[in-house]
Amino acid sequence: MVACTKDKTDYEAEIATEVTEYVEFEEAARITVGDYDIGVEALNGTFYVGYNEVRVKVTDKQTGADMQVSSVTFLPIRKEEGGNTTSCPHRYDMNISTDENCFSGYAVFTDASRPGGNWELYISFTIDGQLYSVHQAITVEEQLNMNLNMTSFTGKDDEQYIIALVSPQRPKVGENELVAGIYRFEQPNSPPTSDFPDPSQFTYTEVSGYTLLLDPRMPEPSMGNHSSPNNVDLTQRDDGLYYGVVNYTMTGNWTLNFILQNEEGRILRGTEVPTVFTPGIEGVKSELYIDVLF
Amino acid sequence: MKKKISIAFFGLFLGIHVSAQHTHTQSDSTKHLKEVKITAIAKKKIETDMKMAVSVDEFLASSENISFIKRGAYAWEPLLNNMSTERSTLTIDGMHVFGACTDKMDPVTSYVESNDLSGINITSGQEGNMHGATVAGSIDLKRKSIPFGMERKWSGAYQSGFEFNNRQFFNLSNLSYSTERFTADGRVSFRKAGNYRDGKNDEVNHSQYNKFNTSLGLAYKTGDLSSVRVDAIYDKAKDVGFPALPMDLWLSRAIITSASYKQLFDEGLLRVWDSKVYFNAIEHYMDDTTRPENLVHMDMPGWSTTYGLLSRVHLKKDSYSSEIQANAYENLSIAEMTMYPQNRSKKTMFAYSWPWVMTRFAGLSMNNTWDISERSRLNFGGSLGWNYNRSKYVEFNWIFHPATPQEKSRILPGLHASYRLEIDQFAFSVGTGYGHRAPSVSEGYGYYIYNSFDRYDYIGNPDLKNEISYEGNASAGFRNERMGVEAKVNYFYIQNYIVGRILSLGSPMNYQSVGVKGYTSLDHARLFNLSLNANYDILRHLHWKGMLSYARATDDKKGNLPFIRPLSYQTSLYFMHRKLGVWTSVNGDFEQQKYSPEYGEDQTPAYMIWNISGDYTLNFKGYQAVLQIGAENLFNTYYSTYADWGNIPRMGRNIFTTLKINF
Ligand SMILES: [Cu+2]
Repeated sequence: MVACTKDKTDYEAEIATEVTEYVEFEEAARITVGDYDIGVEALNGTFYVGYNEVRVKVTDKQTGADMQVSSVTFLPIRKEEGGNTTSCPHRYDMNISTDENCFSGYAVFTDASRPGGNWELYISFTIDGQLYSVHQAITVEEQLNMNLNMTSFTGKDDEQYIIALVSPQRPKVGENELVAGIYRFEQPNSPPTSDFPDPSQFTYTEVSGYTLLLDPRMPEPSMGNHSSPNNVDLTQRDDGLYYGVVNYTMTGNWTLNFILQNEEGRILRGTEVPTVFTPGIEGVKSELYIDVLF
Repeated sequence: MKKKISIAFFGLFLGIHVSAQHTHTQSDSTKHLKEVKITAIAKKKIETDMKMAVSVDEFLASSENISFIKRGAYAWEPLLNNMSTERSTLTIDGMHVFGACTDKMDPVTSYVESNDLSGINITSGQEGNMHGATVAGSIDLKRKSIPFGMERKWSGAYQSGFEFNNRQFFNLSNLSYSTERFTADGRVSFRKAGNYRDGKNDEVNHSQYNKFNTSLGLAYKTGDLSSVRVDAIYDKAKDVGFPALPMDLWLSRAIITSASYKQLFDEGLLRVWDSKVYFNAIEHYMDDTTRPENLVHMDMPGWSTTYGLLSRVHLKKDSYSSEIQANAYENLSIAEMTMYPQNRSKKTMFAYSWPWVMTRFAGLSMNNTWDISERSRLNFGGSLGWNYNRSKYVEFNWIFHPATPQEKSRILPGLHASYRLEIDQFAFSVGTGYGHRAPSVSEGYGYYIYNSFDRYDYIGNPDLKNEISYEGNASAGFRNERMGVEAKVNYFYIQNYIVGRILSLGSPMNYQSVGVKGYTSLDHARLFNLSLNANYDILRHLHWKGMLSYARATDDKKGNLPFIRPLSYQTSLYFMHRKLGVWTSVNGDFEQQKYSPEYGEDQTPAYMIWNISGDYTLNFKGYQAVLQIGAENLFNTYYSTYADWGNIPRMGRNIFTTLKINF
């Protein structure tokens, strides 16, 4: 039969080549203290800018057997030239996960490692009532998947906020559950009391009861501010993350325009975007937005 | 000896029972089948009275139930009973072919060439459900087939011509070979046209076209009463302009193939058994880079592939005859949209406008004729079909219709009955029908299909209900040796009439769009068609005929439906003596009173067009040559019709010349 003049598009394959997906937990760092090995695992064995799910496992250095650990704390610290130290949203007291026999948490790295700005993990754990503390330099890579982008800003309440996309890693055309973490930096109200690092100086909380209003649009001039129906604003669930629905009408680059409201409905950041179709003109973005691509 | 008889005249409009199809049944075999009467209006010859080198579109246009939506000079969309192609079945020898263009640039009629056709069977309403479920009726393009054992083994024709307005040059040729057991028939045609000029002598940009069409048919007689036949058509249109659309056609290609087996029977109830398997594939690539006003461009390719089979038996006993046909086909329609970001190296944006939509249909149709007496005949029948759709990438449909099922099955029943009575020179008929149709691929599963008429993006709705038609028709006629008059009416009450309605959700995607419309069902719509035909032989060599048609269509709120032909007329005089024929005609529409702003229409003023032509026939040494010269729109009237997409003006004065040689 006559072959087609032009090939059909395999759009599922195109999404797959465009989007880097992280699926497997692999060891991203290993620290040895006394008789113990501390393995820090992240998806793909790499820390990226943005939201990273993190697991910590303590094993016997000799036998490799899992140890009975009663608690783990986790604190990422960024050290800059000139001695300035900062952190990023993270879970300080990690959750015990019995089935995997490990502790789980997360870190939302705000910058990649670079000369003059390096990340270190401070981990402490307790075995048989004995507290062990370790720290280790790590490398944070630039985020390769735009669907896990993040943004940080100062709200109208003068607080520092960070919003990081958690899911979907690989969006599809149609409805996607959109998951984001929203974090606020808690300004320390007293000087450090303990040895470095004093966790009270580096506290981030998952804000509760906020609403993240969503208006996804395609910013390319050729798309004329195109949007989609049936989107759902993000609200918080029990795990502390914010859940909503984003509907993508086609593949390509999208801007998630946000408005962040606190529990009282006060707008902390974000502006309404025009809804008119403006072909040939790049779409106007909210002052609070995250770009994605798939 | 076949000769060009210029008297398509008689059979043409009052020809109730002449059918090209059955003439072939007879000539395919040496045995003769009793004349089969069917109620289809068979257009006998592929030439209008006025112009012998017509395009398929021009030919169809000379029928009173057919009107056209025109997006340019090429590939007009035929409307049957003022209803769009979704509501009728369009077939080529019973084969279903589905266009690959989401913007309807390629109705099935655009994939054949006039020299390949022997006639077009137009059947109004439910009587047209022989090839599948329908509301408006059916248009079946009948291809030519060469009889076995012709007097001359070799025969052929060559036709060439030039039309001055758009510098259209065309060549149509065919050659056939026939023996007692074997026939072969090949045809080739080219048409190339530039932009046409309107009645103000302004060039209408993007109205050019190039078409190449070829076909081959081979038949072999496997027995005294049986034959096998294989056919193929290849059609290629390139660089076709659509002045009313924001884009043109870069390339479209179709391959249409079939293999059939026919068995005739000498006696008994079963007279004919005819079966066919077929395959056709179409590819269609639009091009919007030809338009400087498009600041952004997108790729919009489309593909349509259909496999099918049909099997038909003809039964006859005494005054009763019956035709039973089984139809089955599977179609896959794919259309894509790729938009480019400003930085072309970045990832493109992609969506399906037809997300790999599969349609399967299987049905059984029956049409019975009972000649109650010499004067009266009852015609009745029905069809039952199963229609199945599956959208492979249903996520595109879920955007506007979350959680709609990926697959959908529908049962499509149809029934019809009519009674015809002839009393002396008078003939009367009444008929009724009931039938369902399934939504088309675009209506059910289309996604952001831009309609440049109302400038909306259209979204299909997989959950649409079947359209259900209740139909009544009647006719009354009188004829004697010198004259004939006939009036025909039909009325359709269509439940769940599918239209596009503005959606409050979503935002446009196509560059020129102003909003989003979704296909929804009106509670009902009503359509009424009336036509009056008359002919009169003024002198032995001078004939007159005239036609008047009127239509009215409203939605459930008594609003007007779009694309309904205003009161229109056609009248012609024909003089024929010996080798000379002279023809003149006037046709036009009255002012469009009942237009529909809601569906993007504005009022179209009245117009009147005058055409004239003459032909001369020469015979020498077994050859016959016909020379014709004529002018359409003689007074260079500037006009556009109610159905001209975007009110683009029609062609101004067009002088045409044709030479045809038969041997
Ligand atoms: Cu097209």
